[in-house]
Amino acid sequence: MISNKLGITIDNLGQAWENAGILWSEMFPPDFSVVTERASWSQTKCTWDADWACSAAIHGLVETIEIAFLATLFGMLLSLPLSMMAAHNLSPIWLSTITRQFLAGLRVLPSLVWALIFVIMFGPGPLAGVLAMTLYTVGYLGKLQYEALEGVSRHPLEAARAMGLPRWQVARYFALPEASNAILSQILFMFEYNIRHGSVIGLVGAGGIGWYLNNYLGVFSRYDRALALIIVIYVAVVIIDQISLGIRHRFMDSETHAPRARWREIIPFFTKREV
Amino acid sequence: MPAPVLSIRQAVIGFEKDNPLLVDVNLDIHPGEIIGVIGRSGIGKSTLLRTIAGLLPPISGDLDVPSAKGEIGYIPQRLGLINHQNVGYNVMMGALARAPFWQTLFSLPGIELRESARSAIEAVGLSDKVLDSISQLSGGQQQRVAIARSMVQQPTLLLADECLGELDSETAKEIIELIQKLAKENNIAIIIVDHNPVRVATFCDRVLQVKGTHIEEVNV
Repeated sequence: MISNKLGITIDNLGQAWENAGILWSEMFPPDFSVVTERASWSQTKCTWDADWACSAAIHGLVETIEIAFLATLFGMLLSLPLSMMAAHNLSPIWLSTITRQFLAGLRVLPSLVWALIFVIMFGPGPLAGVLAMTLYTVGYLGKLQYEALEGVSRHPLEAARAMGLPRWQVARYFALPEASNAILSQILFMFEYNIRHGSVIGLVGAGGIGWYLNNYLGVFSRYDRALALIIVIYVAVVIIDQISLGIRHRFMDSETHAPRARWREIIPFFTKREV
Repeated sequence: MPAPVLSIRQAVIGFEKDNPLLVDVNLDIHPGEIIGVIGRSGIGKSTLLRTIAGLLPPISGDLDVPSAKGEIGYIPQRLGLINHQNVGYNVMMGALARAPFWQTLFSLPGIELRESARSAIEAVGLSDKVLDSISQLSGGQQQRVAIARSMVQQPTLLLADECLGELDSETAKEIIELIQKLAKENNIAIIIVDHNPVRVATFCDRVLQVKGTHIEEVNV
């Protein structure tokens, strides 16, 4: 009964196998000319002389990484103060409730839908991608961060409150450093996520390697080139994942699992020179 | 005699109005005095300190406590240090209450505050540990950091909850000397909660015992 309503039949499955066979035959072997040939039809202008630098794979990948980087940076800058406002242990209940609802609102729509909205507003291109992923990053990262802030021990916060410090100083100087390792890890995770997702939002015209992928799958029907792009994306994600792992190790002692005091290197409140 | 730093009259302390932990609390503490509070676990000693620190409202009664920013120092049971940070950062946190707004906004403490942090770290004997993370220190060293933070803060009233904890007698003796120095040199009133009545009697000017729901002064 259900399958009838949804229009799922055995014939559909049979057709799918046939299509999969065609797709398979047209995909293999992957055509890696997408890494070497200049893509003259690129969405944004490429000024490099080398053809490989302006190829669909490299130009698209660099654009995707740029979009992901900017979205993560802007998302982090916006989500940090919002997460402090949303944390129950740092803000009055009325403020944390309103901020949580705002962050939940940003998460209602996936970045793909945000990208569609911004493509309509600003036209196709990386700007729509950056804005879409920034909004999604704020909603997602904000939630992860306020949960990390709420997880810090109450004792340093109580010592700070007894001193009579205002809420922003309690959050900035006591809660944030205590949660710093978790927050840095979340930012790196979000960057990885945004790179993976950057290839998806390109499908609706919001820039990056996904835009090339969409054209190879749709207009050009070059599945061998599309497969080559998918392999390039996979390799790039694996490399970025390893780099991210290395950075995270710098903040966490792998033997003792004790967090290292690295925050001072970012915010030089007290340095060796001063003592 | 100078005016008391802390004055409590007819206070009822606890979480539930119908089931208070402490009733009829009357207490005056003067500058430079060290008061020890003893009593069995869970009787309300820490709740008394948290109420004086302004972290819990009293159920009823009058509490005349220092109200200006930075006048109350509080060392919670687990010291309240930022474990992910180094000794220098933690000690500097005591200066936040005294620092001008722009210095706290940009994390740029002035020379005077940095000097006071340096002196405090030297006074507690941790000059060689300034850049060590709190999680790398021993229990005794962490107590010293908490005391150095209070030295930099320069409160008029310091509340220390079980800050001697389970330290060995030698380390506890060193910490007690630091507390006495802090009280006498800076004229700070100190309330220290401890579970060891004999130890408290050796360095406190007065000892208060929590019995049932009442506090009474005792000679140990």
